[in-house]
Amino acid sequence: MFRFLVTRISSSLFALLIITVIVFLLSHLSGSPVDALLPDDATQEQIDSFVREWGLDQPLWQQYLTFLVNAVQGNFGTSLKWPGEDAMGFVLDRMPATLKLGGLAILISVVIALPLGIAAAVYRGSAVDHGAQMFALLGQSMPNFWLGIILIWVFSVWLGWLPTSGMGTFAHAILPAVAIAWFQVSALARLTRSAMLEVLDAEYIKLARVKGVSEGMVVWKHALRNAAVVPLTYFGILAASILTGSVVIETVYSWPGMGWVALEAIRGRDFPVVQAVIIAYAVVYMLSNLFVDLLYVVVDPRIRRG
Amino acid sequence: MADSMINTPQSPGLWAKARNLPLIPLAVLLIVFIIPAFFAEYLAPHDPYVPNLRARLQPPVFFGGTWEFPMGTDRLGRDILSRILHGAWYVLAVSMIGITVGVVVGTTLGLVAGYARGWFDGLVMRLVDISLALPAMLLALALAASMGTSFLSVVIVVGFALWAYFARQVRAEVLLLRRSDFVERSMVAGSSHTRILFRHILPNVTNTIVVLATLQVGIAIMLDASLSFLGIGIPRPTPTWGLLVSDGRDFIATDWWISFFPGLAILLTVLSANMLGDWLRDKLDPRQRQV
Amino acid sequence: MIRQNDKPRAMPVRLLAAVLLASSISGMNAHAIDAPAQGRIVIALSPLGADSNLYWTTTGAFILPSMQTLVGNDPETGKYDNSQLADSWEHNADFTSWTFRLHPQATFNEPWGPVTSADVVHSFNMHIGDDAKLSGISLFKKIEITAVDDHTVRFDMPSPEPNFLFSNAGRGSLVIYSKAQFDAEGIKGYETSPAGSGPFKYEGREVGQSIRFSTIQDHWTGVNPEFDEIEFRWVSEPSTRYAMLSAGEAHAVTLPRDLQDDAAEDGQTVLVSTEGAMQTTMLFTGQFMNPEAEENRDARTYAWGDQRVREAANRALDREAILEVLYGEGVRPLPVYTMDPRFPGFSEELAARFDTDYGYDPDKAMALLAEAGYPDSFDNAKIPLVVTTLAGNPEFAQMAELVQAYFDVVGIETEMREQDWATGNTAIRGFTADFITPMRNAPVRPSALGVQIFFTEHASAHLNIGDPELNQLGGKLGNETDPATRDALLAKMFTRIFDTYAHLPMGEVPASVVVNSELVEGWTFPGSTSSGLSHFELIDLK
Repeated sequence: MFRFLVTRISSSLFALLIITVIVFLLSHLSGSPVDALLPDDATQEQIDSFVREWGLDQPLWQQYLTFLVNAVQGNFGTSLKWPGEDAMGFVLDRMPATLKLGGLAILISVVIALPLGIAAAVYRGSAVDHGAQMFALLGQSMPNFWLGIILIWVFSVWLGWLPTSGMGTFAHAILPAVAIAWFQVSALARLTRSAMLEVLDAEYIKLARVKGVSEGMVVWKHALRNAAVVPLTYFGILAASILTGSVVIETVYSWPGMGWVALEAIRGRDFPVVQAVIIAYAVVYMLSNLFVDLLYVVVDPRIRRG
Repeated sequence: MADSMINTPQSPGLWAKARNLPLIPLAVLLIVFIIPAFFAEYLAPHDPYVPNLRARLQPPVFFGGTWEFPMGTDRLGRDILSRILHGAWYVLAVSMIGITVGVVVGTTLGLVAGYARGWFDGLVMRLVDISLALPAMLLALALAASMGTSFLSVVIVVGFALWAYFARQVRAEVLLLRRSDFVERSMVAGSSHTRILFRHILPNVTNTIVVLATLQVGIAIMLDASLSFLGIGIPRPTPTWGLLVSDGRDFIATDWWISFFPGLAILLTVLSANMLGDWLRDKLDPRQRQV
Repeated sequence: MIRQNDKPRAMPVRLLAAVLLASSISGMNAHAIDAPAQGRIVIALSPLGADSNLYWTTTGAFILPSMQTLVGNDPETGKYDNSQLADSWEHNADFTSWTFRLHPQATFNEPWGPVTSADVVHSFNMHIGDDAKLSGISLFKKIEITAVDDHTVRFDMPSPEPNFLFSNAGRGSLVIYSKAQFDAEGIKGYETSPAGSGPFKYEGREVGQSIRFSTIQDHWTGVNPEFDEIEFRWVSEPSTRYAMLSAGEAHAVTLPRDLQDDAAEDGQTVLVSTEGAMQTTMLFTGQFMNPEAEENRDARTYAWGDQRVREAANRALDREAILEVLYGEGVRPLPVYTMDPRFPGFSEELAARFDTDYGYDPDKAMALLAEAGYPDSFDNAKIPLVVTTLAGNPEFAQMAELVQAYFDVVGIETEMREQDWATGNTAIRGFTADFITPMRNAPVRPSALGVQIFFTEHASAHLNIGDPELNQLGGKLGNETDPATRDALLAKMFTRIFDTYAHLPMGEVPASVVVNSELVEGWTFPGSTSSGLSHFELIDLK
C-alpha cells in the first residue's frame, strides 16, 4: 500500500515538473504582458520599467529557474491583471467555485446517466434503449457554449425560473452545471449500459433468477450494485473533461471559477496567474486520479501489489 | 435503429447484413457532411464569403424569408446554407487530420510502450498523464497566443487532445495480446520484434482504433467549435461550423437561424458519427467497454 | 492500469456521491449576490482589462463612480465644466502652467474630511509611481505640482500643454484619493475601501464579478440620484448581458450593434452618448511613407507603400454601407482619424472633399491598381488584415471581414490574421507589424495628442508612418503655443494625411447603452470617458 502510494505520487510529481516546463515556455512564447497590460500609447520609459520590474529582461532559463524555485514554495508572483493579488492565492480563491460547479455537474450526470444506462440495458433493443441513448448522445452533440446560451434563454428569460448568470445562490449553479453535465451523460450512460449488460449475463444473476428472485430485485439489488462502480473507472477522464469544459461554460455564465480566471489571464497575458492556474488544474486532475486509485485499492486489495 | 426492425429468422445473407447497417446515421452523415464536403461548389446557391449588405439578417424560408436564402442570412448578408455547405470540408479536414495525428502518434507510442514495457512504457504513461492533465483548451489558448491561429494550429490541438486516449487504449490491449499464445509462439519461433508488432499485434488492435476514431469525430468537432468560441479557431472568413455557431451565439434569442442551422449540422453529424461508432463497436468489438 | 473486479462492492460509489453532494451543496450560499433589490441599479458591462481599486494601476478604462477627477464634462455637450473637484482654472500664456482652484465645500466620504490641495498633490504622486499604467501618465511624470494654498494647486510643465484639461477630465489620468485615509490606513485602505468625493460610496467588490456603490445622501455637489445603490457586473458574453436585460436582472447593458437593434425591436431603449465617444479606423502599419530604408524594418516593400494602392484601398470601401452595418444610428463619417470638430485643427475643407476623394468607386480603384501594376510588380502584394476583438469593440472582427470582401471585389489580395489584441500590440511595439489593423481612439483625444500618437514619431514611435513632412509638422506643433498657428499646423497635418491616403478612416461613433425600458426612463452622458459611460447619477428611473 505504502509502496503503491509512493510510486503513484512520485510519478505524478515528475509529470508536474514537465508540466511546469511546458507551461513556462508556452506562456513566455506567447508575447509580452507589456502589450496586454500597458495602454496603447505607453512610452518606452513605462515599458522599460515594467520589463525590469517583472524580470522579463533575464535569460529564459534563468527566468524558469527563478519561477520553479518560487513555485515549489507556492509563490507564483503577483497578478498583473488583478494588481496586488497573489497569483496562486487568487487561483485558489476561485477553486471552490469550480469544484462546486464540477461536483454538481458530476452529481447531475451520475444521477441522470445511471438510470438511463440501466433502463437501456434492461430494455435492451427496445424503444427505451434507443431513446435513452439518443438523449445521452444529444448532450455530446451540441457545442457547449451554444447549449449554455440556449439554457439561459429558455430557463432564465422565457420561463424566468433561474437566474441568468453570476454566482450566488444554489439556483445560480444549476444551469451551468447542467450545461457541463449533459456532455458527460452520454459516456457515463453508455458505460453503465454495457456494464449492466455484462452483469445481467453473469452466472450468479442467472442463478438468482433460477432461484425465483423477482426481476426487479435482480436488477436493482444484484446487478446495480455491481454495475454502479462503473462511474468510478471513468472518474479520472470525467474530472479532466469537466475541468476543460469549465473554461467555456464559466465564461458564458460569468461564473468566477478557475476556468474563467484561466481565460481572462491568458487574454491579459497575466503570466503569473496563467502559470498558477494551469498548475492548479493539473494538480486537481492528478489528485482526483489518485483519489480514484486509492478507492480501488480499498475495494480491491489485489491492486496493491499490481 | 436498425435493431427495431422485425427479426425474421432468415439465413444471414447479403440482405441481412445490409439490414443491420445503421442506415439512418449513414444517410445523415452522407447528406449533411460527406457530400457537402466534396461538392459544396456545385450545391451552394451563393458565394459563402461575399457579403450582401442589402440582404442582412434575412429569416429562413417559412419564417418570413424566401427560397433565395433557404436558411436565412447572417449579419453581413451571407447565405447560411452556402456557408454550412462550404464549411463541411473544413470540418471534415480538421477532424480527419486531427484524428489521424492522434491515431498515428497514440497508436505508435501505445504499441511500443505496451510491447517493450520497462522505462519506455513508464515514460509514455507519464506523457499520457501530462497530456490528460493539461486541458486542451488552455494549451490551445497559449499556443494561439504564441504562434497565432491557423488551420495547422487547430489540427495540432485536436491531435494533442486525442492521442493520449489512443495511446492508453492501445497499450492496454497490447499488454493483453502480448501474453496470448500466438504472440508467444512467434517469439519462440524467433520472429523479429517489428514483425511481431506489425504482423501479429497491430492487426489485432485495429478494431479498437477504428471504433475509438469514429467516436472521436464528435470530440474533434466539438473542440473545433470551442476553439472558435474562444476566438482561436480556424481564422475567418473560413466558414467552419464552429465559427458559424459561435458567430451567431449572440443572436440565439432573436436572429436564431444564424447559429441554429450550423448547430443542427454539428448535432446531426456528431450524433450520426457516434451512432455509427456504437454500431461498429458492437460489430467489431462487442466486449469493449471503454468510452 | 486498473483491473475490474468481478464483484466490486458498491461502497465507493456511495462514498463518492456523498462527497460530491456535500461539497457541491455546502457553501453554495457563501457569497450571495441577490437579484436587484428595490432602489439598486445593475449595469452589466464587458470585463475590464485590469481590475483594481488602485486606479493608477489600471489603464484607466473605468473611473470608479465614487472617485472624482479635477475637471468634469457637461453631460449634454461634453465641454469641460466644474462639476468635479475644480471650481475654476487658468493657464499662463504659453500653456506651461495650469492653476486649479478646488470647490471649497468638496468633501470625501465620511470620515475623511474636506478635499484640499494636499489630497491632489498626494494623489498626483501616487499616480506617477512605477506601478502606474494609466494612459497619458508619461506627461504627468514631467510635471511639477505645487500646493499654492489649501484649495489651489499649480501644475508646471516643461513644454506647452494646451490640452491639459483633457487629461484631468473624462480621460481620467488623475483621480483624487484622500491623503487623510492614506495617512491613517496606508495603501491597504485604498485597496479595501478607497474613499472618494463623488456622489457614490464604494461598498465592495467581487474580483472580476462586480463592484457595488451606495448613494450618498446630501452630497456636497447637490446631485441626488434616484436610487440607493448601483452595481456594476462584468459579463463577457453579449448574449448573457442581453439575457440579463430581458430578464430584468440588469437596468442597463452594453451590447454589440446588431443586438442593440434586436433589443430595440423587443421594446428596450437604446441610449446614445450626446457626443462622439470613439473614432475607428484601419491603420496601415510600418514606416511605409519613409523615403529611406528603416533601421528596424523596411515597410516600403508592402503594397501600401504605394500611394495608388492606398487610394485604391480607400476607394474600394463603401463606407456608408460598412458604417451602417457596424454602427448603425449616430455614426458619422470620419475624414481623418484623430480629427474632430470639437478640437483645433478641424478642417471643413477636408470634410467637404471627403466624398469626392474617398467616395466608393470600385472602377477607379481598379484603374489605380492597374496603373500601379498591382499585384504583379509587388513583392508583397498580399495584404494581411488583422481580425481581432477588443473589449468595447466587438465590431472589429466584422470590420476586417467587410474590408476583405470589398478589397476582393477590386482585386486587392488579402490574408486574414486572426489574433488577439495583445499579439497585434506586440508586433506594433516590436516594429514587426506588417498588416492593416483596426484601431480606435476612445475617448476622442484632442487632435494634437491623437495625431502625434497615431501618425508621427513624437508620441509613440512604433506608430510613426515615417513621413518626413508629417514628422516635421509634428515637431513644430510640439513647441507652438499660439492657438491660431497650432490650428493651422494641425490642419496641415490632417491635409497631408488625407491627401496621401495614409490610412483607412472609418467613423466617429457615439457610446451606446441599452436600458430596460420598463425600469429606466433616460440617462444623459457625453461619451467622454474610455468606456464611454459616465454621469451615473443622471440615470432616470421610471
